[in-house]
Amino acid sequence: MSFDYLWQGFAVALTWQNLLIGFIGCFIGTLVGALPAIGPINGIALLMPIAYSMGLPAESTMILLAAVYCGAEYGGRISSILLNVPGDAGAVMTAMDGYPMAKQGRAGEALALSGISSFVGGLIGTIGLALFAPVLSGLAIGFGPAEYFVLMIFAFATLGSMVGSQPVKTLIGCVLGLMLATVGLDATSGAYRFTFAEPELGDGIEFVVLVIGLFSISEAMIILEHQGKGVTVIRELGRMTARWADLVRSTGATIRGSLIGFVIGVLPGTGASVSSAVSYTTEKRISDSEGTFGKGDVRGLASPEAANNATACGCFVPMLTLGVPGSGTTAVMLGALMLYNIQPGPMLLTERPEVVGGLVASLFVGNFILLALNLPLVNIFARVLTVPNWLLVPGILVLSVIGVYSTNASVFSIFLMLGIGFVGWLLRKAGFDMAPIILGFVLGRVMEVNLRNALAISGGDISILFGSTISIVLWIMAAGVAFLPLFLSRRAKRRMRAMTVADPALD
Amino acid sequence: MSEAHSISPRTARLIGRVSAIILLLLALAYGLGGSVIEYAFASDPLGPRVFPIALAVVLGGLGILYFLSPGTAEGFPHGALLARVLAIPALLAISVLLFEPLGFAVSIFTLTLGTALIFGAPPVKALIGAVGHAVLWWFVFGYVLEVYLPAGTVFGG
Repeated sequence: MSFDYLWQGFAVALTWQNLLIGFIGCFIGTLVGALPAIGPINGIALLMPIAYSMGLPAESTMILLAAVYCGAEYGGRISSILLNVPGDAGAVMTAMDGYPMAKQGRAGEALALSGISSFVGGLIGTIGLALFAPVLSGLAIGFGPAEYFVLMIFAFATLGSMVGSQPVKTLIGCVLGLMLATVGLDATSGAYRFTFAEPELGDGIEFVVLVIGLFSISEAMIILEHQGKGVTVIRELGRMTARWADLVRSTGATIRGSLIGFVIGVLPGTGASVSSAVSYTTEKRISDSEGTFGKGDVRGLASPEAANNATACGCFVPMLTLGVPGSGTTAVMLGALMLYNIQPGPMLLTERPEVVGGLVASLFVGNFILLALNLPLVNIFARVLTVPNWLLVPGILVLSVIGVYSTNASVFSIFLMLGIGFVGWLLRKAGFDMAPIILGFVLGRVMEVNLRNALAISGGDISILFGSTISIVLWIMAAGVAFLPLFLSRRAKRRMRAMTVADPALD
Repeated sequence: MSEAHSISPRTARLIGRVSAIILLLLALAYGLGGSVIEYAFASDPLGPRVFPIALAVVLGGLGILYFLSPGTAEGFPHGALLARVLAIPALLAISVLLFEPLGFAVSIFTLTLGTALIFGAPPVKALIGAVGHAVLWWFVFGYVLEVYLPAGTVFGG
């Protein structure tokens, strides 16, 4: 195992251009996180095509998008604490104790303390990523097509069992994504599939079109529906620094939250909404002896905030080493790599060490930038919460149109985006999440190609899918994850569901 | 982002059942479409048909499970709110039609003005906002980032 990639990465991340890009990303990310109307997926979906058409190199684009992702996990706490409305799905639990603190006139303290927890979580997550990426990538070099196929099965099993409260809908979302991925030219046989003789569909549905349609267009419609719920921003921030006693008191919670967050991040498909809920409930069970959780306990604030930042970093582990995204947002970033014709997988670290290393190194740098942005400047971000929707949403729509148009200058694509956005809205109304669709789409081609390659190797004998120790272990893990909810006691399950209230699609 | 409307279990069930039926029809159409894909040669034992057919089968199975236990749904808005929500994609479609003939600036102005009004902005503020949006985004993308944007064919762009 070697960390050469990391030193090489620091050389990439510490150039002036990439430092500036990282800073801009952190700033935009914090804004995106703070605004309840847009979450990290929307932010990244809108920035990705713009970065690409500006001609940024792959590593700079990844640094930008990673900075936005981590920044959003920081920013989400601002509206949770000041509005009692989570800025993104990972910040739902932050409101449980953060908002009561704000109502007691301790908003400034809550913001400072949660900023520090975010920092610790992000740092622990990044260290975990730097350590684990080479290990996992080394293991995965032994993967053949059959093992890959089973790995995807494992990813979908995890997704179905951990994300959202309705596993059937999550899995339907995955299948819809897989189906969308089959549109276009089939490279192995030269057949056009589901293109309806439309030449613009020959290369398949563009990733940018799908992501922006599902997340931005449908989101604009949802924002309108939810508008006018009468929320008020708490303006009395009080003391702006964390108390030493509170920091000491919450240290255990922060570290436990970070570790839980990182592990959940590494699991394929499960993002910050899951990890912050699990860490909060765990912390409550461990520390809440006086029943102060939910009434402004600093430990209940620190734990989920540390967890959601650690998760954001952990999510990069499977994405960079296996090509399987750790969350909805990393699924979008995987799509961004594909825009650059970079095939993610275990070879990524050896073939493009500057991309992987640059990203990991930029996360270290970005965490310090974010801490600096989020402690003294939190007031500025808090003011952004007062930007009215009628000014904000048109901006989202303009960016959607430009984003899609800039990648291929086609009006057909914009209409396709619009159609997808409308269907996405219908699905959301019926209680579906959008993230599984994206995950299915991103994994679709890889899954099919690996299945077909595996069967080509074996001459059509499906026993190859069970032919190696790695694949048998993966099958067992998939089965284990799929049946895990059944083993959890009914009570714990019900509590978990009550906690995981918000839209898990948005992390 | 939390549950917006609380709808009755009956409505939720109805939405779930209808969605399940649509998904089952989709599985059927997709599976049939997949089984007639034409190809000249196959370099692997599966060919281009099997994966789509397998997906159709899985979707069919999941669709039946969904039909049997529809779970919860968020539900649709009613009346005037529904009309305003649907006006967003309609407005977007109109602006996109204007995009190439009348150019970026006019199209974006229409889109941002219309959206602001749909979101209930006072008309004067909406107008100022729309001019601001058109100028801002034209400046950012056209000048600073040099992204290609149509100037409008009627203006000789």
